[in-house]
Amino acid sequence: MCKSMEVKICLIGMGNVGTSFLQLLKEKRDYISVNFNFNCKLVAIFEHDGALINNGGIDLVNLLEDYTNLRKNQYWTSNAKAQDLISTLDIDICIETTPTNPNTGEPALSHILEALKNKINVISSNKAPFYLHYAKIQNLAKKMNCFVKFEATVASCVPALSIKESLIGNTIFQIRAILNGTNNYILSRMTAEGVSFSVALKEAQELGYAETDPTLDINGYDAAGKLVILSNELLGWSKSIEDVKIKGITKITPHALELAKLDGYVIKHLAIAEDNDLTVEPRLVKRDSPLNIQGTLNLIELQTKYAGSIILMGRGAGGFEAASAILNDLISIVKKRRGF
Amino acid sequence: MIYFEVKLPDIPGSLIELIKPISQNGGNIHGILHHHDKKINNTIPVDIWFELSDDLIEISLENIKKELIKKNIQLIKISVDSKNKIVTFILTGHVFDSDITDTIKRLDSKNIKVLDLHAKFTEVDEISSVLMKVEFPEVMTKFELINEIEKICKEKNLFLIRS
Repeated sequence: MCKSMEVKICLIGMGNVGTSFLQLLKEKRDYISVNFNFNCKLVAIFEHDGALINNGGIDLVNLLEDYTNLRKNQYWTSNAKAQDLISTLDIDICIETTPTNPNTGEPALSHILEALKNKINVISSNKAPFYLHYAKIQNLAKKMNCFVKFEATVASCVPALSIKESLIGNTIFQIRAILNGTNNYILSRMTAEGVSFSVALKEAQELGYAETDPTLDINGYDAAGKLVILSNELLGWSKSIEDVKIKGITKITPHALELAKLDGYVIKHLAIAEDNDLTVEPRLVKRDSPLNIQGTLNLIELQTKYAGSIILMGRGAGGFEAASAILNDLISIVKKRRGF
Repeated sequence: MIYFEVKLPDIPGSLIELIKPISQNGGNIHGILHHHDKKINNTIPVDIWFELSDDLIEISLENIKKELIKKNIQLIKISVDSKNKIVTFILTGHVFDSDITDTIKRLDSKNIKVLDLHAKFTEVDEISSVLMKVEFPEVMTKFELINEIEKICKEKNLFLIRS
């Protein structure tokens, strides 16, 4: 076996996804070393108010024992910005998990572009940069001979994007998906209990399945962004969110759901890519269809030339769910980059 | 059931070239009739009957047609069983206030026949929902049907939930 190599990484954004990733990295460190023959050295963590940079490697055990240790660390510098310092770091992979503006993609977009400009591979859990500027990011990555991976952006750890590598010899010609767990929960509750949209939404908020401001979910924008990424990756399209015809779920009434039931249907909020068109809207789906999933689950159905229908299903949100997708991306990049 | 009449070159393997795209797009072939007695210019008319899943009929049919054209197989006739020409949808909004009789007449004027209708409402002038099952003509695609319904919805401010 060849000598175990060292992969230097930085993390931008230590929120729920970022901390879950660090915990997972700590937990899987030995497994990665034994099975993939490399060790991760975390050299920088950027937060909104400063950065911890230690070229000798940040002690994960100490940090995860108590998160306040981040700002107490001797290497912590207040007000240091990722955007200004990425170019000075000697790292192989930049992991971007900051809270990001859904309409501009910032600050994640600038972090991603800055890392790529400095020949640093990128992993991101932020959707917006990819549904807004997919081609720009991919072109820059190609030009700089870098990898950019973003599995966590669509259905979290469900391998919605990486399945592409298992289907190279096949052809995908249509995607139908349920990409927003909040909306699926609301419609499932309305169908099962006959409650109104507003009651189901309130319940989803109380259970933590919906945001305090659920606009991006219920108007279909969140699912549309994921559909853009999915179709660009799996179908080789070059779309942005402006290309999606979007209808939300706010106009669905208990009466409409009752009528659907009469004829053996349920109403589901589907994201559909077919015939070079992208649509997110409520659709009638046969009660026995695989698309009739309940609760907060996500589902992606790929129509393929040789295998027919391929279905992926699982939890599409959560800290550890996204973290496991990021770790998968990391291992995938290292396997492809075996040289660095 | 879907029926194709095609013209195949009278050479070994040409029948396989016809069957492949149908089966690869999920078609369940029910029958094939080879008219050797009607051979003209070294081409033979062939009738083929097959079924496609209701959910994917439009896209699969388009894919099959495209692939047959690519293979230079002449498509003479296509016919889709009326079962495949029935679509269910729901309209929500002021369906009654915006004159449901006019909505049905407008569909009828395009040869879209309403086969079944169910309504749910509390008051006629309140938000209501109507489920309609319609049959559309053979010459019309599902895409064109949806366009017609969407035109009415836009004008009457109704919300369409289609299958």
